[in-house]
Amino acid sequence: MEALLGFLIFGVTIGVVYGIVALGISLIYTGLDIVHFAHGEIYMFGAFLGLVFAHQYNVPYWLAILCAMIVTGLLGIVIERVFYRRLTRAGGGYTVAGMGMIICGFGMSVVLQNIAFLIWGADAEPFPVNFGMPYQIGEIFLPKSYVATAVAALVLMGGLHVFLKKTKIGLAVRAVAQNKDIAFLMGINVPLMISLIFGVACAIAAAAGVLIGPMQSVQVEMGYLMLMKAFAAAVVGGFGSLPGAILGGLLVGIFENLGAAYISGSHKDIYAFLLLILVLMFRPQGLFGVEAKVKA
Amino acid sequence: MNLVVTLQGVGGFFGRMERTHPLLPWLLAIVALLPLPLILSGLFNDYYVYLANRICIFIMLSVGLNIVKGFCGQVTVGHVGLYAIGAVTAAILSTNFGFSFWMTLPAAIFIAGLAGVVVGVPSFRLEGAYLALATLGLGESVRIMISVTPYLGSSTGLGGIPAPSAFGFTFDNFTRYYYLVMPIALVGIYLSFAILRSATGRAFQAIREDTIAAAAAGINVRKYKLLAFVISAMYAGCAGAMFAHMRPGYIHHNNFTIIEMVTLLLMIVLGGIGHVWGGVIGAIIVTIIYDQTKDFYFYQPLLFGSSMVLLVIFMPQGIGGLIDRYIVTQRFIDARREAGDGTS
Repeated sequence: MEALLGFLIFGVTIGVVYGIVALGISLIYTGLDIVHFAHGEIYMFGAFLGLVFAHQYNVPYWLAILCAMIVTGLLGIVIERVFYRRLTRAGGGYTVAGMGMIICGFGMSVVLQNIAFLIWGADAEPFPVNFGMPYQIGEIFLPKSYVATAVAALVLMGGLHVFLKKTKIGLAVRAVAQNKDIAFLMGINVPLMISLIFGVACAIAAAAGVLIGPMQSVQVEMGYLMLMKAFAAAVVGGFGSLPGAILGGLLVGIFENLGAAYISGSHKDIYAFLLLILVLMFRPQGLFGVEAKVKA
Repeated sequence: MNLVVTLQGVGGFFGRMERTHPLLPWLLAIVALLPLPLILSGLFNDYYVYLANRICIFIMLSVGLNIVKGFCGQVTVGHVGLYAIGAVTAAILSTNFGFSFWMTLPAAIFIAGLAGVVVGVPSFRLEGAYLALATLGLGESVRIMISVTPYLGSSTGLGGIPAPSAFGFTFDNFTRYYYLVMPIALVGIYLSFAILRSATGRAFQAIREDTIAAAAAGINVRKYKLLAFVISAMYAGCAGAMFAHMRPGYIHHNNFTIIEMVTLLLMIVLGGIGHVWGGVIGAIIVTIIYDQTKDFYFYQPLLFGSSMVLLVIFMPQGIGGLIDRYIVTQRFIDARREAGDGTS
C-alpha cells in the first residue's frame, strides 16, 4: 500500500511537469496552428539556463525559475520571428504549413540540442537544491521538492488562466486563436500576439525544465523524451485544450509509473507512447471529450 | 541553360531506349555502375566502396519514404523504426535460426510490411501533425523496445550476422557486397517508378492532392493509404536486411536513433519531396556530406538541422523542384519562340 502510494505520488509529480510542457504545446497549437517539434529542446534550454542562474550567479531557486523563464521566452520569440514566421505565413495567413513545419521543427530541435551540447557538454549535470527534510505523513515520506513542483505548477496554471481569461491581452490572444483574420480586422496586432503566445509557451517549458532539475539531473538529451511524453499528455487530454493538457499529464505520469512498478521497469518509456498511440487510434479528440479544434 | 539542354538530351536518350525495351535503360545503368567499386578503390581506397554500399541502402530508404510521403502525402516520421525492424528480423533469423540471406531478406520485408500495417492504420483517422506524432511514437518505441530487450540485442547489439552467399560466392567484403546492393537499389528505384506510373500511383497522388475529392472519384482511400504505408515499410525492411548483412555484420540500437531519421528527412527534403530521382540525389549528397564532415563530428547535427530548416524555408521543393522549374520555364520559352515565329 505504501509502495503504491509512493509510486502514485511520484507519478503525480512527474505528471504535473509533463502537463506544464503539454500546456505550452497546446498553447502553440491553438495560437499558431502548428505542432512544435522543438519544444523538448526549449525545455532543455530552460533547465540549463536555470542551472546557470542558480549555480553560477547564485540566485535563489525560485528567482532562477523566473530568470530562466524570461530568457527562454525571449529565445522562443526570436526563433519564432526568424524561422517559423516565414513558414506559417507561407500557407496564406497563419495556416498549417503542414509537412514543412514539422520538418522545420525537427531540424530546429537538432540544432538547439547541438548548440546546448557545444555550450554545456554531454555530461549529466546534477542540480542540487536543498529543500530540507521530506514531510512525513504516517509511513509515507513526501519530499519537499515534489510539493514545490506541484505548487509551482498550480501557480503557473493559475497565472495562465488569469492571463487568458481576465486580462485584455489575454482576450486578444484568445481572439487570435479563434480567427486571425477577424482578430486583425478588430484592430488586434496579430503578429505581436503570435510572438507573445510563442514566448509564453517557451517560458512555461523552461519553468518545467527548472522544476524537474532537482528530481533528475540536467542533460542535453533530456528534451526528446519529454517532448514525446508531453505530446502524449496533450493528445490524451485533447490537443488544444489547456485544462486537458494538465489532466493528460497527470494521467501519463501515473500510468507510466504504475506500469514501471507493476509490469516492467525497463520498458518505462514505452508506456507513454502506448497510451499516445491507443488514444490517437481510438479517441483522437482526447479522453475527456473536449472538442479538439481540427484546422485544415 | 546548358544543364537543361543536357538533361533534356539525356531524357530523350533514355526515352528512345525505353521505347526499344522498357527495361533497357535500367540494364544499361547496372552495367554502367558495375566498375564503380574498382574505380573507387583504385582512386581512393576500400572505405569509399563501403560508402557506395551505404548510399545504396539509403537510396532504398529514401525512395521508400518518398512513396508514402511524396506520392501519398502522409506525414510519417517513424520510418527508421521500420528500418530497425527489418534489420533486427534479418539479424535474429540468420544468427539464431541459421537462415541464409535469401530467406532473411523476404522475411524482413514481410515483417516490416506487417509493421507498416500497424503504422498505417492510424492514418485512417489522423492527418498532418497528429499522424506525425503517432508515427514518431511508434518509431521511437521500436527503438526503445530493442534497447531494453536482451533477445533483440539490448545495449550490446547483435553481432556475427553472416555475409550472404550464392553458389559458393560469398559477398564478404565491400566490393563484393556492392554487387548485391547496387542491383537491389536499382530495382527499388525501378519499382518506385512503376508504382508512380500505375493506377495505384495515380490514386496515391489523388489522395495527396485532395483526400475528399479522391474518395468522391471512387478511390478507396483507406486501402490506398494502407498500401502506401505497407510498400514503403517493405522498402525499409529490405534496406534493414541489407544493412544487417553488410560487413561487419553488427547492428546496435544506436543505428536507428532520431538522428538517422533527421538524416533521412534531410535526404528527401533536399532532393525534393515527391521526386523519385530527388530521393536518390538526396541520398547520395547527404551520405557523402555526412562522411566528409566526420572530422567535425560535434558540429554535424548543427549543419544538418540548420540546412533542413533553411531548405524548408527557402527551397521547399528541393533540387527536384528546381530542375522541374527550369524544364518548365524552358518549355515556355520554346513555346513562345515558336508562337512568335508563326505570327511574324
